[in-house]
Amino acid sequence: MMRYARYLAALAAGILLFLACEGPLNTTQLMVNTDDCIGCGECVEVCPYNAVEIINGDAVIDPSLCHFCYRCVEQCPEGAIY
Amino acid sequence: MKYGISFLLLIPIAAMAVTLDGWMNVTTGGDSLSPQLGSLDVGGFLQGSNWDVLLQEKHVSMDTTGVVDRVLNSYSRTDLDISIQAGPVRINPDLVWTVDIGDDKPELVLPVQGGIACRQGIVRPGLELDAQVNPSLRFFARGLYWSRDIIHEDGSDLGWTDTRFGGGATWDTPWNASLTIAGLTHNTTADYIDYDNTWNRYDVSVALHPRTLPRNMYFSGDVTYSVYDGKDFLDREIADRLTSRVRLMQMGILPSISVNTIFESAVDFDGGTVRSACTALESRLVWRFLKNRDVPSTVVLSGRLTRSSIGTERAGIFSRINIYKGFSFLAEAEARVTPTSVAGAGPDRQRYTFGPGLEYQFGNKARIWGIVEQERTNLTRNENWWRIRSGLEFYPGSVSF
Repeated sequence: MMRYARYLAALAAGILLFLACEGPLNTTQLMVNTDDCIGCGECVEVCPYNAVEIINGDAVIDPSLCHFCYRCVEQCPEGAIY
Repeated sequence: MKYGISFLLLIPIAAMAVTLDGWMNVTTGGDSLSPQLGSLDVGGFLQGSNWDVLLQEKHVSMDTTGVVDRVLNSYSRTDLDISIQAGPVRINPDLVWTVDIGDDKPELVLPVQGGIACRQGIVRPGLELDAQVNPSLRFFARGLYWSRDIIHEDGSDLGWTDTRFGGGATWDTPWNASLTIAGLTHNTTADYIDYDNTWNRYDVSVALHPRTLPRNMYFSGDVTYSVYDGKDFLDREIADRLTSRVRLMQMGILPSISVNTIFESAVDFDGGTVRSACTALESRLVWRFLKNRDVPSTVVLSGRLTRSSIGTERAGIFSRINIYKGFSFLAEAEARVTPTSVAGAGPDRQRYTFGPGLEYQFGNKARIWGIVEQERTNLTRNENWWRIRSGLEFYPGSVSF
């Protein structure tokens, strides 16, 4: 039972941290979750600004070219860009 | 005599074992949005004692009726990746060659109000060097060069090239942590529109990977501070960023169930302003059962919430239930909220996808599958459509000679 409590406590701490940070945040760069990115390249194809490349199997966004159109966010089949 | 010496030199090379692996994946499908969806992925991997060569060809063909933005492009991509280990140094040259094919070439919006252009292909050679000078210290360097075949709407070649150089060192400390210091410079040039932009990044990163954890628990965490030197498309300085990620995995939380949770956060330092840029929380539960069958059955529950200047939400379930030998029943359902670029659809797009499927696995050699999905999306009005997807994955196995 203790091991479940330990894990649930960690999960609850994560949720609390997320809620504490929730809100309309500002961003100057999109994030790519490299654990979830499968390197399929759909973000590269849909980006109208040539701002995304696949490097070492992960999507990499060029911060100088990204215009925050969010097409890659909408297109990504894994939801790995946000 | 000289031929004799050459022959003697060739003997140890010929005696080294060489292994060849090959694979082929084919997927196809269609719906009211994309009548022709298809991809072909063929690859081979040749491996010797201290070298390997990967050659992979991917061909993607897509068409659309344009209700929502989809990948419009058909392209062919070739990857050649060579790796040679010479003592503690690994030399890794590679080449990626992409050719856009079909009638619908992807359109690009050029920087500095340079107009519209059409992308036709990319050639990208690269070289990576990696030196493990002792068990706890590693140096790395990488150079990439993109030559992009982009044609301006007036028919002129843009002369678009990108160059990226980077390198650094990683020290695995004795305290269950590793320290990485790295730097990177990226330059983009498009001669025809007089665009020449360079930005640099300097990273200091600490990764934690404790080894004395309770049984079946895995934890990793990393913190990276990135200093940027350069400007974005609005001629503003790119903000420095502190990124942190914590990953916790617990195997056997119940028999055959494992849970994986990731929390991620980014804080931007923009001049004198400090602001939270992104938070994300993700969790995945995997339940494996009927493990003694030819194909183990699996149920995966997953969810993710992210908040930055946009919000995304995702929840999904995927299940593979083995029925008889290699024959399995598939079922999937997913709900997603993302921003959308569809005109008049509001700031967010809600998608609900679900459908059943069937799969047959021929041992480890081949897998054939098909799935029928229904998707409902709220755009300017609710759209519903069916989609059929199928695939064949073929892996003939290794050959040694």
